[in-house]
Amino acid sequence: MNGVRSRHPARLIPMAIAAFAAVAIVVSGCGGGSSTSPSGSGGESGSSSFAGGAEAACATANKAIEALGTPRQAEVLKYMETTESVIGKLSEEVSALDPSNAAEKAYTAALAKSELVLNQMTNAARNENFDAVREISDELIELHLGELAENADLRICAEVPEGEE
Amino acid sequence: MSRAKLVVALAAVIALLGSVGVAMATTGATTGYPQPKIVVPASVSSPYEQRYVLTAAGSGAGIRSGEMKLEFEEGSSPEFLVGISEFYSYSPDGSIETSLFTFYPFTEIPGGKGLKAPALKVGASASYGQVTPDGELQLFKIEGDRVKGQIRLHGNGPWPVEFRILGDDESTGGHPPAAKQLPEAEPNNPGWGAEPSEYEGEYELTNAAEDPTEKAGTLGPVIGVAQGLGTKGAVVSGGSMTVKGSRDSAIAEVTIETGGSTRHFTLTKLAWSGDKRAAQVHENGPTSPPVGRFEGNGTNNEVKGRLIDGHSVYQVVFVKK
Repeated sequence: MNGVRSRHPARLIPMAIAAFAAVAIVVSGCGGGSSTSPSGSGGESGSSSFAGGAEAACATANKAIEALGTPRQAEVLKYMETTESVIGKLSEEVSALDPSNAAEKAYTAALAKSELVLNQMTNAARNENFDAVREISDELIELHLGELAENADLRICAEVPEGEE
Repeated sequence: MSRAKLVVALAAVIALLGSVGVAMATTGATTGYPQPKIVVPASVSSPYEQRYVLTAAGSGAGIRSGEMKLEFEEGSSPEFLVGISEFYSYSPDGSIETSLFTFYPFTEIPGGKGLKAPALKVGASASYGQVTPDGELQLFKIEGDRVKGQIRLHGNGPWPVEFRILGDDESTGGHPPAAKQLPEAEPNNPGWGAEPSEYEGEYELTNAAEDPTEKAGTLGPVIGVAQGLGTKGAVVSGGSMTVKGSRDSAIAEVTIETGGSTRHFTLTKLAWSGDKRAAQVHENGPTSPPVGRFEGNGTNNEVKGRLIDGHSVYQVVFVKK
């Protein structure tokens, strides 16, 4: 799926301007106090440091997962092991960011849960019990991790990495 | 709902433990099944309250061996049968996998030909409490210590099955012997129909389901991969097929969208017999090594079946545009 996203420089310029403007607004509104931005459900404020850190970690994780592509038959175990490792690292990084509001905590908790589920799936793949891998993955679906990311205003974390063949 | 499923799953496992390897009384092992709406007279169902070992199965079912127990639900009034089976099945890569099924509720086959019940598959781990409808078991009239029937699983079949009733003191020790594989007529006519015009053309997938990766964020791809594994069949969210060439040279180019990714397959050696359709599956074009098979049926501009790609199974229904 390479090339699906635009990398055109002409589009980067307005994006850069918009990003600069956004930073300027936040800085001007801070006045030396604590910097917060509206985030999460229930009208609670989330920390911008959490959002920034989580988004950066998700971008790295998404890139790593996109690079895995879609595994062939003989590659399933390796794929599961690598994904478990990537999500484990992501979970560790996000947890260390100290989530503050309910939405951020819910996303962080779901990420930690997904790490455990992925471990079970990898073990099932190791035993070549692929029916079990599939059944256990239902638990990942039920986490609705992307939806939780949206609730926490984590745009990149809510994205589904694009699959490749 | 999940609690109910868990009760059924636990009851199934308890029943299975009672059925495997140990000669024991056949009452009292199953609990928690609700009274069925349709009553089967005890005079009809009583002869089926037995322990069975699978002696033969249609080769297409992929079942190597298995055993089964039917018993009356404890305390039920009027009494009703519940079945539990353990089948050892060949996976697409040839290894052996264990499948647990419960059979409930039993009803009579019209014409007094026997009993039938939905086959409910118990999850890989009972702790997940998953019991899902997966087919149907029919048991015909008992003849001596034998009973013939047929089974449908995973949306395929029916396949013939034959069981032998185990004696009161008889046990397989948890290792039922390999059942005889009953040969099936393999499609051997080239193409997917008598005339190329019957099958050539553009098809669209009509059994698309909701994409399970849609709200999964970073976990989307791994869910997509995992949901494509196993014998049940992947959740496909879209797809198309183009069949071209005639008879011996006919091939089908298949695109399947599953779990946020798109898979391309080429089907060669298309063959048919009656409504059966078969083909060889390739991942990298028609000259690449085959990675699996397509097995299904075709009628009235529709081709449906299982596309097996190694560990992955895709249930597809294509309709000609």
